[in-house]
Amino acid sequence: MSVPRATAAVSEQWVGGPFGDSRFKYFLIAPALFIMLSIALFPLINLLVVSFQGISIIAENKSFHGILNYQRLAGDSRMWKSLLHTVGLLLVALPIELIFGMAMALLFVDKMRGRQIFVALLVLPMVIAPIVAGATWRLMFDNQFGPINQIIGWFAGRDVTIVWLADSSFVWPAILATEVWHSTPFMFIILLAGLAGVDRSQIESAQIDGASAARIFFKIILPAIRPVLAVAILIRALDLFRIFDIIWALTRGGPGTVTETISTFTFVKAFEQFDTSFAAAVAITVVLILTAVTIYALRRIEIAR
Amino acid sequence: MTVAVRAAPGSSASLWQARRRSLKTIARYAAAVAITVIFLFPVFWIFMMAFKTPDEIFSRPPVWLPADFNLDTFKALVRDGDLGAIWTSLITAGVSTIFAMFFGTIAAYSLARFKTGGRNLAIGILSQRMIPPIVIVFPVFLAYVFLGWIDTFHGLIILYTAFNLPYVIWMMRGYIEDIPIELEHSALVDGWSRWQVLLRVVFPMARAGLFATTVFTFIFAWNDYIFALVLTRTEVVTFPVQVTSWFGQQFVFWARIGAMSMMGTLPIFFAVIVFQRYMVRGISLGAVKG
Amino acid sequence: MAHIRISSLHKYYDSVHAVRGIDLDIRDGEFTVLVGPSGCGKSTMLRAIAGLENIDSGTIEIDDEVVNNLAPGDRDVAMVFQNYALYPYMNVFDNIAFGLRARKFPAREITARVQAAAETLDIVELLKRLPRQLSGGQRQRVAIGRAIVRDARLFLFDEPLSNLDAQLREGMRVEIKQLHQRLGKTMIYVTHDQIEAMTLADRIVLLKDGSIEQEGAPLDLFERPVSRFVAGFLGSPSMNFLPAKLVENGTYLGLRFADDVTLALPAAASQRLASRVGQDVTFGVRTEHITPARDGELDDGFVDLLVTIDLTQPTGSRTYASFKLAGVAVQAELRAHDVEQPGEQIKLQIDMNRAIVIDPSTELVI
Ligand SMILES: Nc1ncnc2c1ncn2[C@@H]1O[C@H](COP(=O)(O)OP(=O)(O)OP(=O)(O)O)[C@@H](O)[C@H]1O
Ligand SMILES: [Mg+2]
Repeated sequence: MSVPRATAAVSEQWVGGPFGDSRFKYFLIAPALFIMLSIALFPLINLLVVSFQGISIIAENKSFHGILNYQRLAGDSRMWKSLLHTVGLLLVALPIELIFGMAMALLFVDKMRGRQIFVALLVLPMVIAPIVAGATWRLMFDNQFGPINQIIGWFAGRDVTIVWLADSSFVWPAILATEVWHSTPFMFIILLAGLAGVDRSQIESAQIDGASAARIFFKIILPAIRPVLAVAILIRALDLFRIFDIIWALTRGGPGTVTETISTFTFVKAFEQFDTSFAAAVAITVVLILTAVTIYALRRIEIAR
Repeated sequence: MTVAVRAAPGSSASLWQARRRSLKTIARYAAAVAITVIFLFPVFWIFMMAFKTPDEIFSRPPVWLPADFNLDTFKALVRDGDLGAIWTSLITAGVSTIFAMFFGTIAAYSLARFKTGGRNLAIGILSQRMIPPIVIVFPVFLAYVFLGWIDTFHGLIILYTAFNLPYVIWMMRGYIEDIPIELEHSALVDGWSRWQVLLRVVFPMARAGLFATTVFTFIFAWNDYIFALVLTRTEVVTFPVQVTSWFGQQFVFWARIGAMSMMGTLPIFFAVIVFQRYMVRGISLGAVKG
Repeated sequence: MAHIRISSLHKYYDSVHAVRGIDLDIRDGEFTVLVGPSGCGKSTMLRAIAGLENIDSGTIEIDDEVVNNLAPGDRDVAMVFQNYALYPYMNVFDNIAFGLRARKFPAREITARVQAAAETLDIVELLKRLPRQLSGGQRQRVAIGRAIVRDARLFLFDEPLSNLDAQLREGMRVEIKQLHQRLGKTMIYVTHDQIEAMTLADRIVLLKDGSIEQEGAPLDLFERPVSRFVAGFLGSPSMNFLPAKLVENGTYLGLRFADDVTLALPAAASQRLASRVGQDVTFGVRTEHITPARDGELDDGFVDLLVTIDLTQPTGSRTYASFKLAGVAVQAELRAHDVEQPGEQIKLQIDMNRAIVIDPSTELVI
């Protein structure tokens, strides 16, 4: 160490180990930042550049096109519909997952024999690769060989041959079912943890006061798990906004463009139609929409921890 | 909520209540079993595909259980070299997880203990993870075409590493903040260097968090579809891509899809059951400690 | 052994000015206790001396060497932490040996030293155990063992006993004092427990809001506090404080309270305070200086007072009795059977020689 041992200069931090403390902390974080920046930020900047150019399958036009792509995007009804589908799915799926997850969490919050096993089994769907989940339900919904039509047939008392994934009036329920199946366990286990943290003595004293179960739920339990609820909703909302794999496995956005989401739409534009600059503009738009939501969300999560 | 009523034993009220309670217990078990069956049925269904004969797969009405558990599909996968997909997934997910864990954990230490970059850097890092994968993979695809990294192991590994780094940093930051700082102070006073403190104090203390985060990081990479779909062709085929490759225009190879799904899913099930305790914290980005 | 010199030390945590210009000299082998209310900067000072906290200005010298830029490991200090800071994944032996290993001691010497430290602290049979298999007191011993095994020149203790129960704390206090006598090392000890401070210290440094309020030998601080803060902080139960007015009272001065009761001040105090007649002051007297009046003549500087006891708190050997003086509750320390019941009247005497008078505007003793 070449640092003089006896100096009165103070604002410098002490020197420890192979690196000065002040450098040590940057040294630790540098590799990670470098990787993240080179894989996310620089390509993202490139994307921004491309979105102002005119590159597509027919033309390698790198001249500045101004906001042409963004104007095209603003008038592209398919893009707006895919955005609408995405938000619509989010708004329907999220409450359903939340209610199912809450119901399951309430069922399992009290001690019971074998609870551990039930919980362990119930969380499994969520860790299945979404693409495998999609494949699984594609099989389940198969109009001829799938068990869903068969089971409905038992109740209907006749042969049912709904073509779930090709019939535009049945395809969204099918996607919804898959999504709810895949993600309700997420809500379940987080809410279960939240409920376990609720102060039991409050509930018990309310019971002694003769409060109804509904009242206890809404006046005591719900406020107590509000932070947990917020985190769960935020994380799931961000996930749902990005939905790709399940839709891709089930329908690829079809029939036609009935189940296209913003992710599948971008994929088709970028990698099937090679409408590169336009797809870049779409991607940039998505980033802009999400960044605001995300930063807000993450601050909330940090507050909760 | 069940009400914990405690009545004196022997009184008629307690008998009635005991009866009511046992009814309630039965109802709870019935509900629990029903829900579990419903949630696991699809898993059962896809796994069974692997053991069914073509006739059983394509029968109406559907056959629920194969007559005998034949392993022809697995043999076919081995014969055709399709198991390579599992191997490829293991390499890409495994290597990227090691990188992400190492670089992520030391970065997390910097954020946790030196408050490097303040709150905003930490949040900025995590926000990167919230960007939809399609938005990330598109410019990365353009860059990889330029670099000639399409369909290479290192290309996929680097992307997985970068994509998982924010998660690792965020999670490990939380786990490191949970370590009493006095343990590190004590080691520093004792004369250990900063690196030694990391190695001898921080890593052992954060062991549980390290394992749990490793597991989840691995699962994210293992389950990825869209990155692999876009960035690979024929040389590097991960198991999710392999699964979808059997969705043909004319014919769907359900048996193979089932077998491959099973092999790609069972290890994950196992890992998650082992790390159940860390699950809530792992999936809630540390916000819920579980 | 080491002597420490700290000059104009400042430390900020963002906007919090935690240490505000501390100057302190600590002699070789001295047992110095830093004491003060929570958040006054005791731990910060200690960490700054250890090198765990970088400082914003000022110098810290150990044995005439400025150590500001030395890493904690290079300062040759040992530190004991409030939460023990034992490594849960190492057994007691390895915990104690950890610091020696950092300094690359040969294995044989490590064993010998750990053994010796364990014998000193009477924990030989615990060496194979993990920290979680130890009681709080045993953990504390191990933590001390970790510090003494290194034979550092300076020992730093940050509230080492505050996690122990009262009885254990007393025992450990004695042991730490014996340890100091045996090792003769310079020790700096942080506590917010004034009894620990009084019993252990060669010198007490009383901190308030990041500055030194008063320093000196324990009894100096106890008997001659410079401010209301010091007077109130040391002593248990706390000193009685009453608002009063300084008035002429025959030859000498007196303190007049709200209900016109006047207590005469002794000659020395009267002289000292002569220039302040007519001012509002705060009168301070410790509980043990209010005692039952003896029959016959009062000693010089004593005053007596007939009071009605409102409340008694017997502790066994003593009984704390409260009464009202000018509407303010005052505690006296009586013998066990001086009063039996609240409501009794009793004649008390106050030792005005030991009482203090405080200027309420500066809170300083005058
Ligand atoms: N790491 C930190 N970041 C910000 N402020 C801090 C930090 N550590 C201490 N402080 C602040 O500095 C002041 C002094 O803290 P310090 O820990 O030295 O107090 P203390 O005298 O040891 O108190 P206690 O008796 O409670 O341990 C307090 O106001 C505290 O809030
Ligand atoms: Mg402290």
